[in-house]
Amino acid sequence: MTALIPLSDWLRQAPDQPVATDATGAVSRAELLARVAHWCQVLPTRPGQRWAVYHQDTLEFLALLLALWQQQCTVCVPGDDRPATIERLQRRVDGFAGQYPEYLLPYQSNACAPCSMPEWRTLSPAFPALEIFTSGSSGEPKPVLKTFAQLESELAALEQLWPGENEAVILTTVSHQHLYGLTFRLFWPLCRGQLFERDACQFTEDIYRRARQYPQFALVSTPSHLGRLNPSLDWYSLRPKCRGVLSSAAPLQRQDSLQVSDLLGVPVREIYGSSETGAVAWRAQCRQAEARWAPVPGISMALNPDSTLTLRAAQISGGSQTLSDRVELDPDGCFRLLGRTDRIAKIEGKRVSLAEVERVAEQHPLIKTAKALALSGRRVEIALVAQLTDQGQDHLRGQGKRGLARALREAFKPHFEPVALPRRWRFVEQMPYNQQGKITMDSLMALFHQEETKWPELISQAATEQGAELVLRIPAELVYFDGHFAGNPILPGITQVHWAAHYGHQLLGSGGVFCRLEAVKFQQVIFPESEVSLELEYSAEKRKLSFRYYSDRGVHSSGRICFN
Amino acid sequence: MSSLQLEVKQMIIDALDLEDIEASEIDDNEPLFVDGLGLDSIDALEIGLALQKRYGIKLKADSDETRKHFASVNALAALIQSQAEQ
Repeated sequence: MTALIPLSDWLRQAPDQPVATDATGAVSRAELLARVAHWCQVLPTRPGQRWAVYHQDTLEFLALLLALWQQQCTVCVPGDDRPATIERLQRRVDGFAGQYPEYLLPYQSNACAPCSMPEWRTLSPAFPALEIFTSGSSGEPKPVLKTFAQLESELAALEQLWPGENEAVILTTVSHQHLYGLTFRLFWPLCRGQLFERDACQFTEDIYRRARQYPQFALVSTPSHLGRLNPSLDWYSLRPKCRGVLSSAAPLQRQDSLQVSDLLGVPVREIYGSSETGAVAWRAQCRQAEARWAPVPGISMALNPDSTLTLRAAQISGGSQTLSDRVELDPDGCFRLLGRTDRIAKIEGKRVSLAEVERVAEQHPLIKTAKALALSGRRVEIALVAQLTDQGQDHLRGQGKRGLARALREAFKPHFEPVALPRRWRFVEQMPYNQQGKITMDSLMALFHQEETKWPELISQAATEQGAELVLRIPAELVYFDGHFAGNPILPGITQVHWAAHYGHQLLGSGGVFCRLEAVKFQQVIFPESEVSLELEYSAEKRKLSFRYYSDRGVHSSGRICFN
Repeated sequence: MSSLQLEVKQMIIDALDLEDIEASEIDDNEPLFVDGLGLDSIDALEIGLALQKRYGIKLKADSDETRKHFASVNALAALIQSQAEQ
C-alpha cells in the first residue's frame, strides 16, 4: 500500500517528482512550490481569515490553496463563479483569489513578487482547511466545514479500499470546485504522488485524444460523460492503458456502466457520497442484476425508521450525518437507493434545490406563484409551472410562450448553472389544486405529459441519390398501438406506409400528389420495441417510392407508393 | 434558407427534445450556447453524438475547434459540408 503524504504537511514531505501534467509536459514539484511562494507573498491575508478561491486551472487552484493554508486561512470553494454566488460569498469571506473580476481581488493579479522560498509549516489536523457549499433543501446553499483530519481520514479510507496503482495519469471531466473532483482528481492523486491533468476534458473526444498520449491513465468522470461516450471512437485501443474509471455525482445507468466497462476493459467504480460526508459507498455493475452499494471502509451505518441512513465516521463533519436518500439496507451492510426525501433534484449530477428555483421565480415581477419539479425524459430537467402576474400575462400575449420563457431564463442565469436552468415551462391560469386544496406532484407532472409518440426512434440512416436505408426502433408508447389490437399490439400497415412516405420525402425528395399504392404486402407483423430496417428506393422517372421493412425475422412488408 | 440548415435545426430540436420551438424560429447565425438558443454543455455532448449518428461526423479531438463548429447552425452546416466533400 502506498503511504499517503499528509495533505496538511504536503509542502514539507512531498518527494521531488512531477505533480501534474498538461499539453506541454509534466509540472515539477519545484514549479508548484514557486507558485505557492508567489501567492504567499502576494495575498494580503491575516491568520484566521476565510478566502474564496475559484480557478479553472487545477494546479493554480492548488497553489492558492496551499498558500492560503500556510497563511492559516480557511479556503471557501464555491461551485461556480456566477454573480449570485459571488454576492453571497461577499457576505461570508475576507477576500477573493483566482479567476474573479479585477475589482474583487485585493491584490494586483499581475503582481510579480521576488520569490524566496518560505519555511513551510506543518498544519494542525484540527485546522478548518475548507468550506464547501451544498444545496440545502430550504433553498440557501449551506456551508460544510472540513478539517485536515477529516480530509485525510477520507483519503486514508479510499486508499484502504483501492490501494496501490499510482502509475496512471488522472484524466477527468469534473471540476475541482466540487468535493468529488476535489477529492478524486486533486487531493488523492496529490497525496499518492500520482500525476493528474491540470485541466478537465470537455468532450469525450478530448478524453480519447489525451488518454492515447499516456502509457497508463485513469478516468474520473460522471454519468453526463460516461453515458455519452462517442461510440465511433476506437475506445478498444485504449484498453491496455486504462487502469480505472470512476463515476460519481449521480447513479450511472447500468447499461452505460456496462458499455463503458466493455469499451475500456475495466469495471466502472461508482462512488456514492455527499458534500457533508465525502465518499460513503461504492459499487461496480454486474451483468445479472443491479449492483448494490457497499460502504467505504470505516463508515458505520444505522437505518432510521424513515428508511434514511445515519452515518458515522471520522471524516464526517460533526461526526455523524443523516442522508436525504431513502435506502433498502441488507443485513450484510450493502444497500439500494430508493429516492430522496427532500426537494433536491439531481440534474446531471448537480444538486438543485427546487425551493430555490421557486424562490428565484417568485421574485420575478412577471411571476405570481411558481412550482418547480424535475422531469426525466431524454435527460433529467427542471420544469417550472407558473401563474403569471398581470404584467406577465401581457408579456405572454405580446411575446408568446417562447419569448416569455426566454426572458425568464435570463433572470435565472445569475443564480443557476446552465444545466440547472428550467427547460420546460407551463404558464397556467390557476395552479392545479386538488379537492384538498393541495398541489400534488401528479397534477404538476400531468401538465408536462409528452405529446403522443408518433414516430419510431431512428437508430441509423444512410442515403444515396436513389436509395436510403434506415434502422428503426419501434417504441411501445406509439399512439398507433392503442387499440390495435387490445392486448395484442402490432404496428398498423397504414402507419408503415405513412412512415415510408415521410422518410422518402425527407431523404430522397420523393413526393407530389399521392395517387395509389402498388403491390403492397404485409407479410410479418411488427411488435412494440422491435428493431426493423426500412429500405427505400425512389425512381424520379416513374415517380414511385418502393419500401421494404425487414429484420432478422424476414420481410415484414413491402410495396410501392405512386405519385402524380 | 437552405435545406441543410433546416435539417441541422431539426436535428438539434429532435436530439435535445426541445420544446416550444420550430426549426424556422432558429436563426442561422444565432449563437447556440449560453446566449441565443441557450444550450448547455450536456447539449453539446448530445449534438456531438447526433452528428456522428446522422452524418457520420467524427469531431476532431480539439475542444477549441469543436466549440467553433458548434457556434451556430451555419457553423454546423459548414462542418457537415466540409466532411461530405472530403
